[in-house]
Amino acid sequence: MSLKHRLSAVNWLPIAAATLVACILLSLLSSSFMSYTNLQSVLVQASVTAIMAIGMTFIIVTAGIDISVGAILFFTSSLFAKLMMDTGSYTLAFACALLCATVLGALNGVLIIKYKITPLITTLATYTMYRGMAIHLTGAQNIPVPREMGFLGNGKLLSIPVPILLLAVVLAVGLYLFNATRFGLYARAIGNSAQSARESNLPVNKVTVFAYALGGITTGIAALILLARVGGLQSGIGIGIEFTVIAAVVLGGTKLSGGDGTIVGSVIGAIFLVLIDNGLNLMNASPYVYDIVKGSVLLIAVVIDKVSVTRQQQHLLNQRAARIRATG
Amino acid sequence: MDRALTQNPQAPTEKARWHSWIKQYPAAPIIVVLLVAFSTLSPYFLTAGNIESVLIANSVIMLGAIGMTMVFLTGGIDLSISTVISASAVIAGIVMAQTDSISLGIATALATGLAFGALNGFLIGYCKLNPFITTMGTQLVARGIAFLLSQGIAVKGTPFGLMDFSFAVVLGLPAVSIITLVITMLFIVLLGYTSWGREVLLLGSNRSAARYSGINTARTELSVYLLAGGLAGIAGLISIINLGNAIPGVGDTLLLIIIGGVVLGGTSMTGGEGSVMRTVLGVAILAILTSGLNLLGIPFYDQLIIQGVLIFVGNGLAQHLSRRR
Repeated sequence: MSLKHRLSAVNWLPIAAATLVACILLSLLSSSFMSYTNLQSVLVQASVTAIMAIGMTFIIVTAGIDISVGAILFFTSSLFAKLMMDTGSYTLAFACALLCATVLGALNGVLIIKYKITPLITTLATYTMYRGMAIHLTGAQNIPVPREMGFLGNGKLLSIPVPILLLAVVLAVGLYLFNATRFGLYARAIGNSAQSARESNLPVNKVTVFAYALGGITTGIAALILLARVGGLQSGIGIGIEFTVIAAVVLGGTKLSGGDGTIVGSVIGAIFLVLIDNGLNLMNASPYVYDIVKGSVLLIAVVIDKVSVTRQQQHLLNQRAARIRATG
Repeated sequence: MDRALTQNPQAPTEKARWHSWIKQYPAAPIIVVLLVAFSTLSPYFLTAGNIESVLIANSVIMLGAIGMTMVFLTGGIDLSISTVISASAVIAGIVMAQTDSISLGIATALATGLAFGALNGFLIGYCKLNPFITTMGTQLVARGIAFLLSQGIAVKGTPFGLMDFSFAVVLGLPAVSIITLVITMLFIVLLGYTSWGREVLLLGSNRSAARYSGINTARTELSVYLLAGGLAGIAGLISIINLGNAIPGVGDTLLLIIIGGVVLGGTSMTGGEGSVMRTVLGVAILAILTSGLNLLGIPFYDQLIIQGVLIFVGNGLAQHLSRRR
């Protein structure tokens, strides 16, 4: 295997290169960009999306999708804030919030395998439901969370910001599950062909539900960080974040068609999106330009990906043709 | 089965016809139930005023849903329809505020929609990109353009002629609903009774078969997204007529309702299965539900829960009906 081959097998390399280029451009734009504190704040800003993107990667790898993550995020934040306000018990609030996020995620998976409706429609319906449930729970109030909660969002442990530590933990667990467990292998198998996976007696239903539950729990963790960073429950929390998360995963190098993906890529994808924000911010761009730039970046990325895939396929075909000619 | 045929040849055919009809329109029984329930619960439900306001409020959704139906029929999805509605509204609104010309406004709204549709169609049809991620990109771009050009606030200065139009009544119906009705019928004919419509359906049900039977799949796909964009453009203009101003966030909340309406009507997202008529019924379900629940004083967040549950119930019912032969 040549170096070129080995490198092309690392599917998060393109996004890593793009991120590196973005970093260089930004450090040319602003001398303060490459400072330790600024890089730290980039990671902190990216942590919420990145943690959710890790969960979403598992879902997309099974050829699924979860549009409802923004609503799960909102529901978890609402439940946590409400429980904190009513009972004042951190243990109860944390346990309930994380459990609830996992259950809501798992419910998506259960509904998808039970009703056999496409994941997109299923999670679109649950998106509506979860958001309605969340507002029902709080009565559309804005609820502040206690000051100490800020530790999760802005605090430091061993001089490293807590969100970055949490991201590192989730990343480690995600990498382990994805690369070193049967679950990760089965998830990829289901994404390649659910039919074949079923016919080879893989526990398709169990793995699917588990993947969506993972999406739920990562969203729960992200919700708590976001809530701590914002300082309280606001009605707009989580609106549109599903698209940012999916964009991070796709930019990272995971295919929406499922079958293979990269956890590291998804995290870098989330960081890349924050860098775009950062750059536009440095250039004093109108906040409304952000959407246009992000959308264009996404389109360009998909086009580039398509071109490279087509070229790879052509290369493989040529190789095969050459082999056949050599033997014949 | 044999005995049934010999004993009573008339009954099974009658039953079969009923079955195939109900399979075609799984939304119909839900509509009947909702209509009966709401008209008994609220005396205002079946009044002319309420029906009129429901028709007006849902014209934008209906136009978006027709576009989404076509896209679904090809096995794709267009997430950008909602924000293209916003972008067309804002651009047309600005043009009309500057020139005070309604015809120029109509032209720009249509052109904006068609431009986004062409972009989607080119990338998906000719570049063979994934429809979900492509339209997610154009969704962001359209949203950004709508907010950037309007600076996030409603565009004022709509010509008075257009405002007057919102009160116009043709044949006892609001003019806006007449436009929607005409466009809906046009697309029922286009999809149901032309060779183009059959091409779209074949494309969705079996892409390679479509290609091998000589259909230019890329061109057909482009035409579908183009028309969906154009419809979103018209919907944007109608949103100005209905609301009085061009609002940059007007489409943001519509995406879920549009997709929900199409799915509830029984058009499959995997392609090849569905029709505009089904979508009319699906949109009607959500319209009736919203109006009825509003009249009953149910808060909007509980309506969201009910809408979500209804999508499962509707789908479950459709599957149940189609399995029972």
